[in-house]
Amino acid sequence: MSPTPTPRRAAVVGGNRIPFARSGGRYARASNQDMLTTTLDGLVARFGLQGERLGEVAAGAVLKHSRDFNLTRESVLGSRLDPSTPAYDVQQACGTGLEAAILVANKIALGQVESGIAGGVDSASDAPIAVNEDLRHVLLDLNRARTPVQRLKALRGLRPGQVVPETPRNGEPRTGLSMGEHAAITTREWDISREAQDALTLASHQNLAAAYDRGFLDDLVTPYLGLTRDQNLRADSSMEALAKLKPVFGADEPGATMTAGNSTPLSDGSALVLLASDEWAAARRLPVLAHLVDAETAAVDYVHGGEGLLMAPAYAVPRLLARNGLSLGDFDFYEIHEAFASTVLTTLAAWEDPRFCKERLGLDAPLGSIDRSRLNVTGSSLATGHPFAATGGRIVATLAKLLHEKGSGRGLISICAAGGQGVVAILEAA
Amino acid sequence: MTATAEVLDQVVLAEPPRLGRLYARAMAESRMPRSAALPATEVVLDDVHVDVEHLAAYDEVCGFRLTDALPATYPHVLGFPLQMQLMASRTFPLALPGLVHVRNTIDVERPVRWDEPLQVRVHAEELRAHPKGTQVDLVTDVTASGEPVWTGHSTYLARGVSIGTPSDDEVVGPDPAVDEAGGRASAVWRVPKETGRRYAAVSGDVNPIHLNPWAAKAFGFPRAIAHGMWAKARCLAALEGRLPDAFRVDVSFRKPLLLPSTAELRESRQDDGWRMRLSARRGDLTHLLAAITPL
Repeated sequence: MSPTPTPRRAAVVGGNRIPFARSGGRYARASNQDMLTTTLDGLVARFGLQGERLGEVAAGAVLKHSRDFNLTRESVLGSRLDPSTPAYDVQQACGTGLEAAILVANKIALGQVESGIAGGVDSASDAPIAVNEDLRHVLLDLNRARTPVQRLKALRGLRPGQVVPETPRNGEPRTGLSMGEHAAITTREWDISREAQDALTLASHQNLAAAYDRGFLDDLVTPYLGLTRDQNLRADSSMEALAKLKPVFGADEPGATMTAGNSTPLSDGSALVLLASDEWAAARRLPVLAHLVDAETAAVDYVHGGEGLLMAPAYAVPRLLARNGLSLGDFDFYEIHEAFASTVLTTLAAWEDPRFCKERLGLDAPLGSIDRSRLNVTGSSLATGHPFAATGGRIVATLAKLLHEKGSGRGLISICAAGGQGVVAILEAA
Repeated sequence: MTATAEVLDQVVLAEPPRLGRLYARAMAESRMPRSAALPATEVVLDDVHVDVEHLAAYDEVCGFRLTDALPATYPHVLGFPLQMQLMASRTFPLALPGLVHVRNTIDVERPVRWDEPLQVRVHAEELRAHPKGTQVDLVTDVTASGEPVWTGHSTYLARGVSIGTPSDDEVVGPDPAVDEAGGRASAVWRVPKETGRRYAAVSGDVNPIHLNPWAAKAFGFPRAIAHGMWAKARCLAALEGRLPDAFRVDVSFRKPLLLPSTAELRESRQDDGWRMRLSARRGDLTHLLAAITPL
């Protein structure tokens, strides 16, 4: 047996994404493959990777056509990378992009590959539409039929109503509730106020606008189809404007707080990060912005276990901190994905709550509070929009650049995902 | 393809001409007396803005990715109505109905972004005798802020129309798209019946031989045939990610691709670029030969 290699830390070299568009907006006619290939070629151009064979490319999409089973590989074949670069698709709902980065980083850490690209893409505009389920059964029966009588029998199952296709639902298969409806339950349980949610939303827009204004995104974003900034960004938003919006989730009960403003809109976009060993980057005179230190994925039983759908990161982070001998306050930046403003606030409230920390996390004392001025300092999903699988790549590249600018320190990433899952990771300045 | 020395009168159009109307007029006037020489006119469309919706539809029909750079064949679609404007008129020596697109050469000087305002100019040159009839080149020049970025030469053949004896040069006729693409097929395409209608919708080329079998029969084809420029575009789309920024793609159109049919693509990488051949699935019927060379 060969000796176990000593793990090394994977370097984040940089990233590239296209501005995120609102569903039905600028990218209404762009497919996942269009966006992913464009983002890949942008990354290739930025880091001079034309014709290079990389260790691998791992990416995915949440809303995916069945014909796109090999989406990432197809995008690599259409890109300027060496076509002998292997690729595979990853799918872990909104955790896809970060999980893909962890997968590639782990292979780099073990010395299995020297370089790789990770991320994801999603289009809510070009969503797959399937034929009606009853019609699908008729067609499958017809396909299996061998004799004219069998065929006729299969065709007898046809009904006019079957022309209505199945559209994908942004809902949990086991509960029938949409993500927003789930989040509304948790928000109510934790008594998160409308004002707190709107304030977090406003900060996200203001921080993202300021980041664009100071050129922070110049080497992270490549314009596409006429969009130079995220379409959802409202630099001129205000508490007053946000307060005017009507609640959209949990609105059948009094005191509903979640609006279209403090929830992320359906979005289109893609984001990728370039990961490598330090040696690989040095040989190409490429920068190392940060290292991926460690990661953890947690899952909760939101179906029967009484936990909120989006609460898994609250469990993942304490485990990650314990393994690394860190406490919650030991970070210079916190990147907590804003699926909904209330998701961020509930997670923070849970870590401050002695009962939750004792009963659910098994901790003797609360995990603690964070310095809110270090949270999502260049904005997050409420302002950028949230093309599901693209969010991880956006956040990893953003945090790596923040750490590189600072020149030292550590950052925490937390991303909640459908299915009651949460992916979290630690980055350290190089 | 020598440059025309004479100065052309520019006719600047306010908007692209309507192709259906031009076809109808050309049909009606096809037997009327025509000019003997090429019109000394250049048809110009200024400040052309590409519509992303249209680009996306074109990309989908031809198999291109939707990117900020226009596919090499896209500007042809911008110039095509201007070609028709010239050719549908009786000041053009050859009647539009029956003209066959036999060769198309495109020079991409650099990637052209969809959001660059473009000027599109079209003129005709090189009216010449050919062993099978008479040939003419329609030249489309595209500039962005005065910079030449794209040129297309479309050679049309009027079968059986004689304007004299072809010179030896013209009989031999250089064919840059020599068939060097042998070996196994790199791709098999099932080209559906709707291809003609779908390409007509995005290109404006509503020549009925592409749209319905009866019209095609009237011109001697057993079924409707695919547009040559669709086949050319589809071949280029197959080289996604492998084309240089500046290149020439020279295509000669051979036997028509009947709809529907199954076609095979063969390609070979040469020192100076690519050669491609599109042919029928079985047998040796060649639809198209292409040479792609960096500029």
